[in-house]
Amino acid sequence: MSNVLAIAHKELKGYFASPIAYIVIGFSAILFGWFFINLLYYFDRMSMQAVAGFGGGPQSMNVNEVLIAPLFLNVSVILLFTLPLVTMRTYSEEKRSGTIELLLTAPLTDFQIVMGKFLGGLVLYAAMLAVTLVHIGFLFAFGTPEWQPVATGYLGLLLMGACFLSLGLFVSSLTKNQIVAGMITFAVFLLFWVINWISSFTSPTTQGILNYLSITEHLNDFTRGVLDTKHLIYYVSFIAFSLFLTIRSVDSERWRG
Amino acid sequence: MIEVQHLTKRYGPTTAVDDISFRVEPGEILGFLGPNGAGKTTTMRVLTGYMPPTEGRAVVAGYDIFEQPIAAKRRIGYLPETPPLYPEMTVRDYLTFVSKIRGVPRAERRARVNDVMERTRVADVAQRHCGKLSKGYRQRVGLAQALLHNPEVLILDEPTAGLDPKQIIETRQLIKQLGGDHTVILSTHILPEVSQTCQRVVIINKGRVVAIDTPDNLTSRLRGSETMYVQIDAGANGAVQDALAAVPGVTHVAQTESRGTVASYEVNSDSGRDIRRELSAAVVNRGWGLLELRPLRMSLEEVFLHLTTEEAPHE
Repeated sequence: MSNVLAIAHKELKGYFASPIAYIVIGFSAILFGWFFINLLYYFDRMSMQAVAGFGGGPQSMNVNEVLIAPLFLNVSVILLFTLPLVTMRTYSEEKRSGTIELLLTAPLTDFQIVMGKFLGGLVLYAAMLAVTLVHIGFLFAFGTPEWQPVATGYLGLLLMGACFLSLGLFVSSLTKNQIVAGMITFAVFLLFWVINWISSFTSPTTQGILNYLSITEHLNDFTRGVLDTKHLIYYVSFIAFSLFLTIRSVDSERWRG
Repeated sequence: MIEVQHLTKRYGPTTAVDDISFRVEPGEILGFLGPNGAGKTTTMRVLTGYMPPTEGRAVVAGYDIFEQPIAAKRRIGYLPETPPLYPEMTVRDYLTFVSKIRGVPRAERRARVNDVMERTRVADVAQRHCGKLSKGYRQRVGLAQALLHNPEVLILDEPTAGLDPKQIIETRQLIKQLGGDHTVILSTHILPEVSQTCQRVVIINKGRVVAIDTPDNLTSRLRGSETMYVQIDAGANGAVQDALAAVPGVTHVAQTESRGTVASYEVNSDSGRDIRRELSAAVVNRGWGLLELRPLRMSLEEVFLHLTTEEAPHE
């Protein structure tokens, strides 16, 4: 465990020593703020209409449903662009600069190295999410949202981000070139994001499969405050499988030399 | 301490290392000598557990590097060809990180880091970022990194590459000091380095071991015959060559140089026979001046070329 933490600590230091951590946290904060303001204005207008009784507005406006849930779903867009930046260099840079030789000849298992790198990325991502607590905090200060959907929403986001991170880690382990790693990661993320777009044109069976594969589809219930083991299993198995592939990829690299 | 048995490593169709076997005794410093691409780095990478061999096995400090990699790696310090530094870390942070993953107990880390920085003379750059170091410092931080956990076995891939002459001497002294307590394998293509620091030499070429011996034995063993260099001032008398050829044991005489009455000869004789006495007597008895007489030994450089070139009769 201390080995995992040592690697995670090193990864985190690496993020903060380079502009990556600041770009990822800064830009996601700006984008989140922008989404927040937009949804806030929307919520504001809808509430006004509801109070005035115009246009048959909903009887009671729920801040969780109208504001927080869509906001969380919007975060997946931010992740799509920022998380490839976090993972693209994890393995490829070590391979390019030769530092991978240090890690692979130290008394560490491949599992410890992969977990350390994953954990480092996860902590950076958690820091990125932590910034958004400020906005949510305002809602709690001036309104009365329910806290449970917020908590499950954050859990969902954390899990979805972890999926992206583990997948990015795997892609990074395939190449020495971090730009290539970043691009491929982005493309694969995007595919998992839009994979169910054609589901309405296909047979029910295909539709079911595509919806199940879609990484954002599983987030919906989390943002509504529903904790379904189906989604938990999807995310956890996605993460475990990606990390497993990463370990295999690092190992096979050894054999190929 | 290190035992390599029939080690073979292939990358696809190319064979980088072909059936290498050798042993290194505890406390010994073994030099790994060979031209570029001979398989030195590959062998070292297999020994350190960076990559598995295609065939054969390697036992380091009593542990099979492939069967028990973690136990073996704990006892190995490794300096790869390119020092594995993280550019964004300071030297101190970097060494602290390495001491963590190499399993140095928390309480000893600070002292160990300070100690190796002293020994490798990098203490003055402790707060500098690794990416901003000169080649010489990078190399020495790489060496420091290999020493952190006080390993029984040190594997150093070209430890003096990129150092200036003064640093080279210091590093060689450090490696010599390390021998005895540690078992060292170092690779190099600088020949004097081997004769100065190593007790034994493995010469490899095209993935095969062509010779294993002490530097001294290598230089003498490979002389098929003894060669003497003689410089003689014979005055007006010109029959020097015949006179030398008449000395018992001499097989061949060749004049290499002549300036006025002084001429130089290379005299070959049967190996294992010292003809210096007879040779000098033959010259002096004729009233000539014997200006110089010394055995010509093949330098390690010649041995190396001899062993690693195609026409070498050794193959």
